[in-house]
Amino acid sequence: MSDGNQNGLGKVFIDGLWTNNNIFVQLLGMCPTLAVTTSAENGIGMGLATAAVLLGSNVCISAIRKFIPGDVRIPAFIVVIASFVTIVDLLMNAFWYDLYQKLGIFIPLIVVNCVILGRAEAFASKNGVVASAVDGISMGLGFTLALLVLGGVREVLGSGQFLGMDVVGQSFHPAVTFVLPPGAFIALGFILAGYRVIRQWQDKRAEEAEAARRNAATGGTQPITA
Amino acid sequence: MPDILKMGLVLTVVGLVCTGFLALVEQKTREPIAAAKQAEIEKSLKAVLPQGYDNQPVVDAAEFADKRLNAKASPVKFYRARKGSETLGAAFVVTAPDGYAGDIAIMMAVAPGGTVLGAEIVAHKETPGLGDKYNHPWIDAFQGKTLKSVKWGVKKDGGDFSNKTGATVTPRAIVKAVKRGLEFYAENEANILAPAPAASPPAAPAKAGG
Repeated sequence: MSDGNQNGLGKVFIDGLWTNNNIFVQLLGMCPTLAVTTSAENGIGMGLATAAVLLGSNVCISAIRKFIPGDVRIPAFIVVIASFVTIVDLLMNAFWYDLYQKLGIFIPLIVVNCVILGRAEAFASKNGVVASAVDGISMGLGFTLALLVLGGVREVLGSGQFLGMDVVGQSFHPAVTFVLPPGAFIALGFILAGYRVIRQWQDKRAEEAEAARRNAATGGTQPITA
Repeated sequence: MPDILKMGLVLTVVGLVCTGFLALVEQKTREPIAAAKQAEIEKSLKAVLPQGYDNQPVVDAAEFADKRLNAKASPVKFYRARKGSETLGAAFVVTAPDGYAGDIAIMMAVAPGGTVLGAEIVAHKETPGLGDKYNHPWIDAFQGKTLKSVKWGVKKDGGDFSNKTGATVTPRAIVKAVKRGLEFYAENEANILAPAPAASPPAAPAKAGG
């Protein structure tokens, strides 16, 4: 994991964004995921705020990982994470006031989002600064992607809008359930099912490609022997 | 023992460095945050006050406290809009304590004489898709109303304000809150519109303005 070469970083990136996505695969951080995604804008805002905290805490924790005794690493990590959350909270309050009002209590609650501490424990405390930064960005973007999809689906189905613009005709009657809590669970369930379908298709294609490559390799040797 | 000392030292250093950074960021964002809050107030003031005032209502404000404005009777700022020597009206926030989910804060503006100029929801926690449909254009129904010109209640209770099926708690709370705000205004109009920026709190209820 700790290899710093291009291929390794690329894998770290794809891992966070897609293959090991913390919503679609690990099902971490469900509280903000389900609670704030009543619209695509909320999803993006929450995702980016979390991504910023992830990037900051990953880099910071990775940089100080060698000085922190193992027994006190959790409190040290939490102090670092809480500081970044407070910084993001203040910055959003100052420069993105509308969204700050909408997300309300869920911004300070990023502190207890297990995605952040999870990455600090599982990745940043064992890897270099560059790899940890890539991991923070990709995990953060993966989280944002998941929240955007969930928020978008709920906004379209629940209020007939996307990013505040009307996207469905007059004949479509929005189902309010989707912006209410039950809709979050229902929509997430279908999105996870969709994700599994795509992943299975991807795996199958990868297998076929692998088989074809092996075939081609053996096929390539045949003419020589013939 | 040295282990304990090292742990304590590390945690202390981490805490100190983080606190330092936070203090710095807090200092840098203090003004933008105040400005953002101010801009938010100005935006809702613009929405409820009539065009053409030439003072700064945000500065020309007086504070009053009353149970009718919010349940805790905490001070409420009354922003006065004036054009030259003429007073166009005052805007203030009334809080309805009896919404479906917590408080509903409503910015309302009243013209001298007690006519509602406009109202706008500034904060609420009502059910998305149901209770939160009561902003514009529904809330524009308050425009031009006085205490006596309409029956203050929702249609379901025999009043004059429409309500949507399945969501009567929210409009009921809003109508009641605006009415209470109007009553408070009528009783204290002289004090509310007084030119001094720091008007005295309403001691004895002044003669109702009308």
